[in-house]
Amino acid sequence: MDKIVSRLAAVPAKSMMTGMDGEIREGGSPKTPLISIRNVSLSYGNFRALTDVSVDFYQGELVGLVGDNGAGKTTLIRIISGIIPPTSGEVYFDGEKITKFHPKKAIDLGLECIQQTIGLCDNLSVGRNYFLGREPIRRIFGLPFLDKKKIKEASAKVVHDFGLRDSVDVDDEIALLSGGEKQTFKIARAVTFRNRVIIMDEPTNHLSVRERAHVNELALQLKQQGLLVIYITHDIFQIHRIADRIVILENGRKVTDVPREAMSSEALEGIIRDGAGTPLKGRSAS
Amino acid sequence: MRAAIANLVRRHPEAITITLVVLISLTFAIATGGSWLSVGNLQSLSQLTAVLAIMAFGEAIVIATGQIDISVGSVSGIAALTFLGLAPGVGCGLALLAALVSGSLIGVINGVFVALVGIPSLLVTLGTLFLFQGIGYAVTSGFSFAASTLVRKQFTYNAFGGGTAAEINTGVIWALIILVVLQLVVFETPIGNRLLAVGGDAVSSFSRGVNVTRIKFGVFVISGVLAALSGVLDSAFIGYADGSFGVSMELSAIAAAVLGGCHLAGGRISLVGTLLGAFILRGIQSFLIILGVQPQWYVLAVGLIVVLTSLVDRTLTKLALKR
Amino acid sequence: MRKLLKRPDLGIIIGCLFVFALFSLWNPEQWFNWGTIRNIGEYTAILGLLAIGQTFVILIREIDLSVGSVYGMVGITFVGLENNNVSDVLAFVLAMLLALLIGLANAALVTRGKLSSMIVTLGGLFFYRGVIYVHGGVTGVPQAARQNWFAQLLGGHWLQIENGFGVLLILGSLCAVILHDTRFGNHLLALGGDPASAESQGVPVNKVRTIAFCLCSLFAGLSAIVTLTHDPETNVSLGTGMELEAIAAVVVGGTLLTGGRGTMLGTILGAFFFTAVRSEMVALGAPPSWYVSFVGIALLIVVTINTLLVKRLRNQWIR
Repeated sequence: MDKIVSRLAAVPAKSMMTGMDGEIREGGSPKTPLISIRNVSLSYGNFRALTDVSVDFYQGELVGLVGDNGAGKTTLIRIISGIIPPTSGEVYFDGEKITKFHPKKAIDLGLECIQQTIGLCDNLSVGRNYFLGREPIRRIFGLPFLDKKKIKEASAKVVHDFGLRDSVDVDDEIALLSGGEKQTFKIARAVTFRNRVIIMDEPTNHLSVRERAHVNELALQLKQQGLLVIYITHDIFQIHRIADRIVILENGRKVTDVPREAMSSEALEGIIRDGAGTPLKGRSAS
Repeated sequence: MRAAIANLVRRHPEAITITLVVLISLTFAIATGGSWLSVGNLQSLSQLTAVLAIMAFGEAIVIATGQIDISVGSVSGIAALTFLGLAPGVGCGLALLAALVSGSLIGVINGVFVALVGIPSLLVTLGTLFLFQGIGYAVTSGFSFAASTLVRKQFTYNAFGGGTAAEINTGVIWALIILVVLQLVVFETPIGNRLLAVGGDAVSSFSRGVNVTRIKFGVFVISGVLAALSGVLDSAFIGYADGSFGVSMELSAIAAAVLGGCHLAGGRISLVGTLLGAFILRGIQSFLIILGVQPQWYVLAVGLIVVLTSLVDRTLTKLALKR
Repeated sequence: MRKLLKRPDLGIIIGCLFVFALFSLWNPEQWFNWGTIRNIGEYTAILGLLAIGQTFVILIREIDLSVGSVYGMVGITFVGLENNNVSDVLAFVLAMLLALLIGLANAALVTRGKLSSMIVTLGGLFFYRGVIYVHGGVTGVPQAARQNWFAQLLGGHWLQIENGFGVLLILGSLCAVILHDTRFGNHLLALGGDPASAESQGVPVNKVRTIAFCLCSLFAGLSAIVTLTHDPETNVSLGTGMELEAIAAVVVGGTLLTGGRGTMLGTILGAFFFTAVRSEMVALGAPPSWYVSFVGIALLIVVTINTLLVKRLRNQWIR
């Protein structure tokens, strides 16, 4: 993966400051947030996963999203990435309100995600997983067929650059990969398809210590290229070193939203450990 | 060595089925002193296989997405009745079209309840199975529809199961065409990739932007159309249909798909295997008939084979995953 | 009151009350006569016993498609044994033993063989039906056996109520208690609701599964014997298609196919619902095919309502 970190600097992100149509956009300048979450709540029946959360994310920053287990971080990410709609509240992307929540829309808007437990189909090969949803095609008699050569070559290059052992063939089923290899794959995929936003949910899971350092370097590089990077982690000390801003969630509520310089990592860790006094999730007051 | 075999089976789920077919064919040929391989028997066997295979192809597509369609038997019955019922009046061409449309409509009903409302596919297709079985009986009210000589002469009638081309029943040709088309679509197109992804892990596919709802809906329409085609081809061959047409055939279709290497959980499918699975089921049947063995043993054999094949497949899959 | 609204069987309770009221008003002479009542009682019992067994299996997210064939096999075994001068009670015990063995076989293939219950029981459906076909079935039962106290206990009637119906009520209540008030029942519901959590919480999942499949086959066998002590006509297609009717009754009764939620009362009412409608349709002279279509429509409507309700409750809109 160290190869990638240095290569990344040379290769710009897909559309950085330009919009999908090639125009240079001002979206995400220090004034207007790229993603804006306003009073978002999510309930499953009586269970409140998120309560009245409001956060703004800007282009070109690295935000650490932290909190204890069950705080609602993954839930928030699932809303942002279009997997589930909020029960109440609004989400804005580039100033526009999101009315239909669908991952395809999020991807089209420029979001790439590394999700924790989902994102890979065990029955498909590495190559097919890589291009799932955006398969390269070649037309025969006008009909779209998979460009298998391109799938094989492109995915093979990327995964081996990112450090997957050479014995892994991109035609192998992804079920045959180890936990660490699957994680590396997810990272490789997100980074190569990067657009305007990268969300990483516990990206260092299953990785070795060295690989973890590389992932953090990667996140920094992505931010420097102008992307918005949202980084979810348990490790407050690690993230404090690289993030511009730290947001802490607890029991479905936002309890802290500070620039890195404003608080020490020990102080932040204290908030997570001792709690900020939010009521426990569970039956809502009604 | 073990791992090599296991890997072969994972990449080609039809490997076991092919072995079975070869073994069975040899056994049957020897045991009947060659009459199992007679032209007459093979002709009849190929027609029976084709009709079941086409229905099973549709079933396999549905199963590949992790769902199930048990209404296909009733659909083929409705299609058969529609075809033979309308043919005298509006000609075979339109009757065929009407039959296929009826199949697709039932598929739409299934798709709406499963993909849009969110009811488990087993229940929805159980409901449509009952609903259309009843309609089938009601429409025929004890009688049957038969193809008159006038109808039998029509080109469409012959082209769709009623006649032969180069000594093979036309239904067989349709089965082969559909096999090739589906094989290409499932394994060589983006939509096929997404279909397999949905069967493997619907939530993950969804997170990658795949339109899971559309795929889950679409497979039922495909299944409905293919079941309808199967019904038309068979009724054209036999020449008549009554309310019991197609009843319980869904079980054989599922058995054929499973025999062919399709996993009920979804994500793994083999169309060639499904065809061979249909061949095995019908082959056993014809074998027993030739030998004069009680045909009752057929049903028993099917049960055993379905379970045994699954066990073998499951074991090999487990082995392949061991690194 | 809120608790009442959350019951999974609320739908079928309303449905049955509706049906009852409708038929009472529409066709009182036909509805309120003893012949009809006994008839409905008997057939509700048959379908109901079958459905009770299936409920246990569906609650743990599995399915048993073989119950129709098991019904046939155990029934024919019972009658066959009686024809060979085996005493009623012994014939009963042996036939039920057969059902138990089948249940154990199903469970073993699912828990050890790790096969899906749909495949295993689909195979069983074919296999046991095949066994029946090969055996050729039996006919009739000697008069003496029919008069025997045991046969009368299950197949006779008492004060205009079919004993089979009594069996249904007693066993149904027993199963309801087992489901809601025992540790086993708790384990069963937990396994169906969230298998991973259940296992990690120490629920003996394989044991629970085995018991569920055994109960399913046993009830299928019992249903057959109740049928045959009442009317010993048998043929090789005895029980064909009944697995589907049983599943329909269970599901219409409010049990979710996704497991973990359902009641025995709902299942019994589901069986009553279909039986009552069929009886009324026959009385009104409607052709039998209408009943079959009705089952399909009722199933679709009820399950749609149930699914939408549950989704509302859980706020899960699957895309």
